[in-house]
Amino acid sequence: MAEGVRSPPNGGGLRFKVRGPREFYGGLALIALAIVAIWASGDLPGMHGFAFGPGTAPRLFATLLAIVGALVALSGMLFDGPPLDSYAIRGPAWVILAILAFAGMIRGVHLGFVTVPPLGLIPSTFAAFMISICGSSEMRWVESLIAAVAMTAFCVGLFVYLLQLPFQLWPWY
Amino acid sequence: MSELLANLALGFSVAAHPYNIGFCLLGALVGTLVGVLPGIGTVATVAMLLPITFGLPPVGALIMLAGIYYGAQYGGSTTSVLVNIPGEATSVVTCLDGHQMARQGRAGAALSIAAIGSFFAGCVSTVLVAALGTPLTSLALLFGPAEYFSLMVLGLIFAVVLAKGSVLNAIAMILTGLLLSMVGSDLETGAGRMTFDIAELSDGIGFANVAMGVFGFAEIIRNLEMSQESRDIVQSKIKGLMPTRQDLIDSSGAIARGTILGSILGILPGGGAVVASFAAYTFEKRISKTPERFGRGEIRGVAAPEAANNAAAQTSFIPLLTLGIPPNAVMALMVGAMTIHGIVPGPQVMTKQPELFWGMIASMWLGNLMLVIINLPLVGVWVTLLRVPYRLLYPSIIVFCCIGIYSINNSPTDVVIAAIFGLVGYWLAKHDFEPAPLVLAFVLGPLMEENLRRAMLIARGDATVFITRPISGVLIAIAASLLVLAALPMIRKRREEVFVE
Repeated sequence: MAEGVRSPPNGGGLRFKVRGPREFYGGLALIALAIVAIWASGDLPGMHGFAFGPGTAPRLFATLLAIVGALVALSGMLFDGPPLDSYAIRGPAWVILAILAFAGMIRGVHLGFVTVPPLGLIPSTFAAFMISICGSSEMRWVESLIAAVAMTAFCVGLFVYLLQLPFQLWPWY
Repeated sequence: MSELLANLALGFSVAAHPYNIGFCLLGALVGTLVGVLPGIGTVATVAMLLPITFGLPPVGALIMLAGIYYGAQYGGSTTSVLVNIPGEATSVVTCLDGHQMARQGRAGAALSIAAIGSFFAGCVSTVLVAALGTPLTSLALLFGPAEYFSLMVLGLIFAVVLAKGSVLNAIAMILTGLLLSMVGSDLETGAGRMTFDIAELSDGIGFANVAMGVFGFAEIIRNLEMSQESRDIVQSKIKGLMPTRQDLIDSSGAIARGTILGSILGILPGGGAVVASFAAYTFEKRISKTPERFGRGEIRGVAAPEAANNAAAQTSFIPLLTLGIPPNAVMALMVGAMTIHGIVPGPQVMTKQPELFWGMIASMWLGNLMLVIINLPLVGVWVTLLRVPYRLLYPSIIVFCCIGIYSINNSPTDVVIAAIFGLVGYWLAKHDFEPAPLVLAFVLGPLMEENLRRAMLIARGDATVFITRPISGVLIAIAASLLVLAALPMIRKRREEVFVE
């Protein structure tokens, strides 16, 4: 503590200035999660006698989470913290798209009016590789295509032939 | 003593089966292969490679996983020495002196002393695990539900204390993990909990999906946004792989001390391996006559943390195998693997499946031997691997993870869940929340809830039972004081912050 002059307690009371935004918004999100959990487990029976019901523990831990989340948010209001980091869009978007593409292609999927037939391991792997590589700013076509073929071959070799896992390889099988 | 020898003999007869040696070798090899990749830590490696062990028989699968674990750890050290990018916390210390040695053209010596140190530590701690296994298992019989619950609380508190950053954030992660673990059918009544009527969630969220999402995918997304290629690979050819006689003499004491420290710290729940390497390094520096040489390529600064790290990795199996409680995130993954094979980790494993228990212990030693044998000659291969640009590496990892997750249950939904957790992990990192406590709590969740419910039922709803029963009370007291110790400096700092303005 700085000796001598004691600084006045933080201006005029109700000045909501978020000083640690990372903690503040993180805490808020945790509270939101806790509320969702309490709402989602609301229909479950609670304690009967000494015995926990299925809903007891979820509500208990969700309440605790809400309290801790509030403390985290509060400390974000009271104490200085690092500013919010910016979120990259490009990298995450391609990566997630690649994963979803794999999930959709491997067994096929019905999305409302579009129906993707089961395409099998080889096309799914190849497509996921090519989509995810778009997330890098240094993507080069020829190199990527070669790498995608090599990785697909490696995965087929490892999972299908070496580990003997049951996979459908091509759409027509 | 003779019993111990007989047990070890049984273990070696299992582990030395050609198939199991093969699995062990393969695991160590693949573990190193993935662990060497910069930015991928031990936990991520084990999570990623988990699916490839599912097709194997239980003993083989666990032996292979153990091999992967050691391999990943050794791979991480290799990366630290050669590229100065620690894959994770345990390798940070190795970077300090290891990379300096590499710059002085002594990368070979650094790597071989790391391997030798690890091997020595592995030998000692294997015996320790075998010796402590039986007495600790009988201790486990004294444990009722209340004690189990308290022990798990202690483990989680350790994880909180050791997490970097705010204690409050780590506690929040623990609670989030516990909450997530409760999604799915209730164990006793079968009622669907927090499933939002989604059929795929009625079995709960798969553990591998969470781990792969927050460790694997989230890591990649984060690495993508960092400026590419700031790597500093040691370009000079690695020569003189064997350490000199002087190196060996210099480091022998450090290895021995590191082993002892690591073995003790590893048993403690909550991530002993990290503390072990830090503690060993600090200790070594403090007792050294030439502390100024640390950080400038001192071989003891590589030997001690590497030995400690490996000893801790080994002894952290003790709580898992005897009490069924995973002390850190990697062991949590092991529990996940065991459960998939229908093995409930705990004291009964040793009595009911002695060949599995002792086979795994024996394979720890074999795994360490493998590392020495395969890694020293293969250093050149790892160096080549480090030169593969990240833009080609990360799509390969993504594809590999996708296939791995899908293959667990042949379920595309699992892949989607992992993708969601990838985004969650990315968000967590942006807000300084650490994923390791979350994953540990996620695994411990069902066990904790079960024991909490039982303890409360037995005590007729009296919550003081956790404090009044002696063993449980001590455990809770330790947990509470640890928490206070960890929180105090933070509170003090914060108070200063407030007053300084």
